[in-house]
Amino acid sequence: MPINITRRDFLKASMAAAAAASVGIPLSSVAQAAAAKVDEGWRWDKGVCRFCGVGCGIQIATKNDRIVATKGDPDSPVNRGLNCIKGYFNGKILYGEDRLTQPLLRMKDGKFNKQGDFVPVSWDRAFDEMEMQFKKTYNELGPTGVAVMGSGQYTIQEGYAASKLVKAGFRSNNIDPNARHCMASAVAGFIQTFGIDEPAGNYDDIEHTDTMVLWGANMAEMHPILWGRIADRRLSNDKVRIVNLSTYSNMSSDLADLEIIFKPSTDLALQNYIAREIIKRDAVDWNFVNKHCVFATGPYDIGYGMRGNDTFAFEAEKDIQAKQTTVKLDAAEAIGQRRKADEQVAQANSQSAGKHWLIEFENFKRAVEPYTLDYVAELAKGDADESLEQFKQKLKQLADFYIDNQRKVVSFWTMGFNQHQRGTWVNEQAYMNHLLLGKQARPGNGAFSLTGQPSACGTAREVGTFAHRLPADMVVNNPKHRAFAEDVWKLPAKTLNPKVGSHITKIMRDLEDGSVKWAWVQVCNPFQGTANANHWIKAARKMDNFIVVADAYPGISTKVADLVLPAAMIFEKWGAYGNAERRTQMWREQVSPPGQARSDVWQILEFSKRFKLKEVWGEQRVPGLKDKDFTPGTLPNVLEAAREKGYSPDSTLYDVLFATKEHKQVKWPDPIAKNHNNHTVDHLGDGWFVEKALFEEYAKFGRGHAHDLAPFDLYMHDDVRGLKWPVVDGKETQWRFNEKYDPYVKKGSGFDFYGKALKSIPSGDLDGITHKEKTNLAGKAKIFFRPYAAPVEQPDEDYKLWLCTGRVLEHWHSGTMTRRVPELHRAVPNAMLYMHPRDAESYGLKRKDVAWIESRRGKIKALVETHAGRNRMPRGTVFVPWFDEGVFINKLTLDATCPISKQIDFKKCAVKVYKA
Amino acid sequence: MNLSAILVITAPARVETCMSLLDSLSGITVHHSDPITGKIVLTQEAKSINAEIEGLKRIKALNEVSMAEMIYHYFEDDEVLEERIPAELDSLQGLGELPGFLKKTSE
Repeated sequence: MPINITRRDFLKASMAAAAAASVGIPLSSVAQAAAAKVDEGWRWDKGVCRFCGVGCGIQIATKNDRIVATKGDPDSPVNRGLNCIKGYFNGKILYGEDRLTQPLLRMKDGKFNKQGDFVPVSWDRAFDEMEMQFKKTYNELGPTGVAVMGSGQYTIQEGYAASKLVKAGFRSNNIDPNARHCMASAVAGFIQTFGIDEPAGNYDDIEHTDTMVLWGANMAEMHPILWGRIADRRLSNDKVRIVNLSTYSNMSSDLADLEIIFKPSTDLALQNYIAREIIKRDAVDWNFVNKHCVFATGPYDIGYGMRGNDTFAFEAEKDIQAKQTTVKLDAAEAIGQRRKADEQVAQANSQSAGKHWLIEFENFKRAVEPYTLDYVAELAKGDADESLEQFKQKLKQLADFYIDNQRKVVSFWTMGFNQHQRGTWVNEQAYMNHLLLGKQARPGNGAFSLTGQPSACGTAREVGTFAHRLPADMVVNNPKHRAFAEDVWKLPAKTLNPKVGSHITKIMRDLEDGSVKWAWVQVCNPFQGTANANHWIKAARKMDNFIVVADAYPGISTKVADLVLPAAMIFEKWGAYGNAERRTQMWREQVSPPGQARSDVWQILEFSKRFKLKEVWGEQRVPGLKDKDFTPGTLPNVLEAAREKGYSPDSTLYDVLFATKEHKQVKWPDPIAKNHNNHTVDHLGDGWFVEKALFEEYAKFGRGHAHDLAPFDLYMHDDVRGLKWPVVDGKETQWRFNEKYDPYVKKGSGFDFYGKALKSIPSGDLDGITHKEKTNLAGKAKIFFRPYAAPVEQPDEDYKLWLCTGRVLEHWHSGTMTRRVPELHRAVPNAMLYMHPRDAESYGLKRKDVAWIESRRGKIKALVETHAGRNRMPRGTVFVPWFDEGVFINKLTLDATCPISKQIDFKKCAVKVYKA
Repeated sequence: MNLSAILVITAPARVETCMSLLDSLSGITVHHSDPITGKIVLTQEAKSINAEIEGLKRIKALNEVSMAEMIYHYFEDDEVLEERIPAELDSLQGLGELPGFLKKTSE
């Protein structure tokens, strides 16, 4: 018998057998034998996908210190063996040709020079300059003069180490993640509504429900694996219905039974229409509402999160900036807010946007009364080519789906809600309708906020790498929370700074106005990812400041940096992520980082060795600090109190915060490592298991506080694929707030919204507070009334088109990783300008033409795409993805934020388009 | 050279039709199927990652296909190793006739 079978054929047969086994296709014993043979000499281990917030499990095979294969983890309850295209590149992204492998410092004549070229330097030289520049700024401006821009891609331990160094070591709250741009509105919505962050449900809701409503979430492209589960559910059950609400038609519409194209920001009105229908049709679940909910509202005059003055504004953007202080209501807003059109409204609550108070149901009912079908349909219809009558039919159908008591409903959303000038409001409105109907916190029923980054939940939110947060939902401006953190961290009282720091957009503004002069960027690319980018690029390059960027690949942020630090990537280090369903997952170091690249944890700990307590824990100036326990504008000297704790003024921050006696007892090597390496530990050289010790210390914050994490070792077990917190007695929690599933729920209550934040509030009516006396709302959720508010910048005579930005499937975020794989890069070579063919025609453009896109803030060129299968724009709206640094769309976008969450609205600004 | 294993889901009644459609595409070998669940497992061989993505899109675009996603990806770039007759085959030859699951893989 001639044998012309090669190893390649054999590999194919074996991969097919392995794949078939993982999706449950019955195999012959021979095929099973093949599956077992292929990977001889490979080391397989479990891991988590590096990319979006879904948190798919993957298996990684290594050989000779390289990744040779990856596969979807058949045992992962999230993806059940599948992977999307992004997941596929977990192994590839480590091996791009331009990987950063040594520190680079801008130098001239052997010295640091901001105008110099990048020169490779040693880690010692890099840290020397970093330290010198830090101390110069710290001595001049104090803790508020320095900042760290972090990430929802931080591993849990990285975020924890960075947060502890900045907050406890440097006594600064200027640490904020790019996750601010991703889900801050979701967080604010959760905290205001439930008093505790993160979803009640989990992905199994997909299989439990029969109605799924997507609000500004193109899941088919952004969360393909969850979309696969949704498609499975839809195709296997005739009753299941899917609704896609969006400002343009996208890939998710292909499977949807109902597509609703609406105008930007009118989702606020759509939700109030549903609420009005619920009341009108007498469909309120009064049993649920009376027992578990209250009604609330807040001020409408909250501004748009822009700067309060135009000192730094470009001439062309001053008209929009002025609306931060006063707004003229348009006709639709006037109806929705029960006021008069053209009324000038001073934005008096721009600094107190989050305040709210209890109202009676009668007030709530009166507030949603104007949101009739006629008013809302007229306002919201987003496709000029659709008839008003048809649009009205669709809205009725949407309300029917929600209200039908034979239906379970899950609402999903991501950036459409979160990147929104009223992002917190629109999140709260989703809960409003689910709570009114009693369709919340039950299997198959719930409003479910998805996330975009792999550890937006696990790190940014749970660890609290935000300017206002501490771990486990605690906040810096609560004295009890500070005391708790000071106790866990063994700090003298009043070490922690009670003044909320700068959110990430404000850090950019601080760089521009010179109030921050030293910044360290970790695991993100904020100079590409922050709206109105021309300001921030200029600030980085022209101002007197020092910017450090740690990254694996060069991107816009590394280009504007003064010092670049080469970072280890996901499977080159130990780590843990937390996904959007509260699932914490861990992985081991699989391969060595290339060259001098090192983990962010190592970088943070190594830098902490360069600070003595006497340099940071003396008296510090904090402009604007006002707190009853502190002298205004001042953090006290805590060195004496530190001595009582056994520290010397010459102790380093490394000794006090990281290499503590307790941590050093967590020894490396550890059998749980199964002979995998740990380069972080090797390079620190003092034999403690950094990632395990940090995780266990961090877990102290949440245990017993409804954020319980399991012991480190349990996550590493071979048969564990992550666990959904709270993990109590080794058992994860499927649905929170529901007595049947959640051990924290008071027995006999049925449901218990036990979150503690903002649960004591005054009462009033729709116009304001009438009784200052606070009511205790323990165990209850709030049903908020929030009105329609128009976007601050809208198309006009000069700038006639809406611009929306977002991701595309093949790339992820700014593309610094996925664009390294040359073939993938070619798949979507340039970000396109997606527009309706008739719009293109009216501007004299055709497909593949080069066009200028211009806003008040900048202009760029892009290729016109009118025939795109995936994004079909209505007339009047254009879309440009933001991954391509050659099509730098954030030069055009507006840095208006939700005033409560401080999250930028990347989804709406006004542009003009013309032929280049 | 890139190799991937891909799961395709089709209506159970259409499994046979779908398999023959898939089999006619270049670079694709259909390996396993389950007529009860409509699942088909195939491998795809492509010169570049771009070609693989295009290949996946081509599969997704077929009318018969309700879903297609990758499961397994191999990227050890060693042409010599891939062309070698695998030592593993010797032990399989001991089974007698060339196993059925290997028959279709060489062209």
